[in-house]
Amino acid sequence: MMIKEIITVILIVVGCFFFLAGTLGVLRFPDLFSRLHALTKADNLGLGFIAAGMAVYIASPWAALKILSIWVFTLLASSTSCYLIARFQKEQEQPENRKEQE
Amino acid sequence: MSILIDILLAIIMVYLAIQCLLTPRLIQSVFLFFAFGLGLALAWVRLGAIDVAITEAAIAAGFLGVLFLDALKSFAPKVSVKQDNLEDIYKLPRRNIKSLILPRVILVLGLALFLFIALEAVWMIPDGGGLTASAEALLPQSGVEHPVTAVLLNFRAYDTWLEIGVILLGLLGVFVAGGIKLYKKPGASKPDPMLRQVILFVTPVLFLFGAFLLYIGKTGPGGAFQAAVLWGAIGILLHLGGKPIFAMIPRWLFHLILTMGLGFFLVLGFLLIADGRTLFEYPPAYAGLLILIIETLGAISIAAALTAIYANLNQMEEETNEVEPTT
Repeated sequence: MMIKEIITVILIVVGCFFFLAGTLGVLRFPDLFSRLHALTKADNLGLGFIAAGMAVYIASPWAALKILSIWVFTLLASSTSCYLIARFQKEQEQPENRKEQE
Repeated sequence: MSILIDILLAIIMVYLAIQCLLTPRLIQSVFLFFAFGLGLALAWVRLGAIDVAITEAAIAAGFLGVLFLDALKSFAPKVSVKQDNLEDIYKLPRRNIKSLILPRVILVLGLALFLFIALEAVWMIPDGGGLTASAEALLPQSGVEHPVTAVLLNFRAYDTWLEIGVILLGLLGVFVAGGIKLYKKPGASKPDPMLRQVILFVTPVLFLFGAFLLYIGKTGPGGAFQAAVLWGAIGILLHLGGKPIFAMIPRWLFHLILTMGLGFFLVLGFLLIADGRTLFEYPPAYAGLLILIIETLGAISIAAALTAIYANLNQMEEETNEVEPTT
C-alpha cells in the first residue's frame, strides 16, 4: 500500500516537472517552432508520467487501459496539431516552399 | 485535502474569468476562455454533475472555442507581420474614461442585483432537495435508470425539445447571415496527407465513442448532446480535411437530417396528445425505446447542426477573403 503511493507521488511529481519545463519553454523560447517543440514534447511526456501515476494509484487493469487510451489520443491530437501549426507557419514564412511540394 | 482543491479551483476560475474579460488582446481572451471552460468542467466534476461537465467541456470549451478561433481568423491581419506588430493589431481600441462611467455604474448595479438574486436563490433551496424525491420515486416509470436522463428526456422533455430547437435556430441565423448558397464549395481547403491519415483513424473512434455516450445515457452520465458534440467533431474534422460532408449529400437529405430530431420529438408529442395523454407523456412500457430513438435522432440532428454552423461560418469567411484579399 505504502509503496504504491510512493510510486504514484514520484511519477506525478516527475510529470509536473515536465509540465513546468514545457510551460517555461513556451514562455521563454524565442520563436514559434521552439515553443511548439517545448510544449508538445515536454507536455506529452508530463501527461504520460501523470497518467502512469494515476494508473498505478487506481491499480485496476481496466482503468489503466482507459487512462492509457487518454494518453495515446492526447499524444495523437497534440502531435498532429503541432505538425499542422508548424506547417502553416512554415508556409507563411517561405511561400516558395509550397510550390515545390505541389 | 479536497476542500483545498475546491478553493484553489474557485480562485483560479474567478481569476480566469476576470482575466478573460479584461485582457487587452483578443487572442488572449479566446485562450483564457478555453482555460475557463475547462476549469468550469472540472468544477462541475467536483460538484458531482458529470453530465454537465461533459457537455461543458465539449460544447463550451470545445465547440465554442473552435468557433471563436475561427472568428479570430477574420480579425487576424491578412499579411504576415512580425511579433511586436501583432500586439498593436490585436489591441482593442481604448475609449476615453468619461464615456465608460455610465456602463460601469450599470455593470456594478447589475452585479449587485445578480449577487442578491444568487444569494436569495441559495437561501431558498429547501433542505429536502426540492423535487429529487418525487423524481426518484418516478424513475422506474421513466424507461431509463439514470436520473439526469430521466429528467431531461422524460419528465422535462419539453426543455430538451426546445434546446434542440435553439441550436437549429442558431443555424438558421447563420444561414440568414451568410445565405444558404454558400454551401456548394467542396474541396475548398487543400487536404494534408498527415491530417487525412489522422482523420481517417480518429473518425471511427469518435463515432464509436459518441455512440457509447449516447447509449450509456440510459444508465449513467452521457446522452444526446454529449454524443452530438463528438459526432459534430467528426463533421468539422471532415470539413477541415477537405471533405465537407453536407456538400456531398443532396440538399433534401441534409435538411431531413437537420430537422428529424426536432420533428420526431414534435410528431411524437402530437401523437401522444391524440392518444389522450399530455405532450411528451410516454407510455411507461415503451418509454425506454422512445427515449433511445429520440436521443439517437436528436444527436444526429444536433451534430449536423453544429457541423453546418461551423462549415457555414468557415465558408463565409473564405468568401469575404476572396472579395478583399489584402487590406
